[in-house]
Amino acid sequence: MYDITAESIPLLIIFVLVAVFVLFFPLAFIYSMLFGWIHESGRQKKLLAREQKVAGIVGGDNIHTLSTPISLEKISQCGLVMTNITVSPSWWQLFLGSIKSIFGGQIQSYDKVLAYGRAEAMQRLREQALGEGWSEIINVRVETSMVMNKVKGGQQNKMGTLEFLAYGTGIR
Amino acid sequence: MTSNTETIPGFKITKSLGVATGSTVRAKHIGKDILAGLKNIVGGELKAYTELLMEARTEALGRMMMDAAQRGANAVVNVRFATSSVAGGAAELFAYGTAVTVQQE
Repeated sequence: MYDITAESIPLLIIFVLVAVFVLFFPLAFIYSMLFGWIHESGRQKKLLAREQKVAGIVGGDNIHTLSTPISLEKISQCGLVMTNITVSPSWWQLFLGSIKSIFGGQIQSYDKVLAYGRAEAMQRLREQALGEGWSEIINVRVETSMVMNKVKGGQQNKMGTLEFLAYGTGIR
Repeated sequence: MTSNTETIPGFKITKSLGVATGSTVRAKHIGKDILAGLKNIVGGELKAYTELLMEARTEALGRMMMDAAQRGANAVVNVRFATSSVAGGAAELFAYGTAVTVQQE
């Protein structure tokens, strides 16, 4: 049998660390492949439920992109309302996307991430409007930006973290 | 009052006082970055970044309002936001708008 002596302990630690490091990436990738879609469909279900809840309270939509109010006659107060969300694709979605981008065409895995992020940002705007007591939010704009990304050689080598910012003017 | 519309409905702009600006540069905490990297595996929202960016943007907006107040304005109209990545991992958040004095019609 192996004798664990004082000299072999550092070697053992190094071996364990290397094993963990080497095994981590494949295991994480497999986890992403198997469970990523469960997380994703859960998120989308929750979002849908929240959208329906707000639609039930307001009876329509309380945000719009026009620069003049629709329902209010007289405005006593206004203020800027903004909400944001940062989303990133899972490793599996990144892998699918990078393969698809060789052949071109619609990249569905990125599509889902972007659509979810934007819908969630707008939904948070609706909820914030309700929470802060604005009767409607006018002139809504949604902005997208890449954040915390690493740019190599002057060009983006892969899709990274995206931030969606939704903002508008709340009136009451 | 702040608004991202060109005019505030129901109010009259009496005087324009120039462009009010506010900006802040933020970088993330390395520990949070590692946690966000782990969250990346399954995708979805990265709450640490969401909070950091909203905090930074609120500060940029606050600085813009302070600038407007120094000019003697009581409202800022046509507010815009800009985000840019400066250096690795740091983001600049910039808010700007037109400082004006308004009067209820």
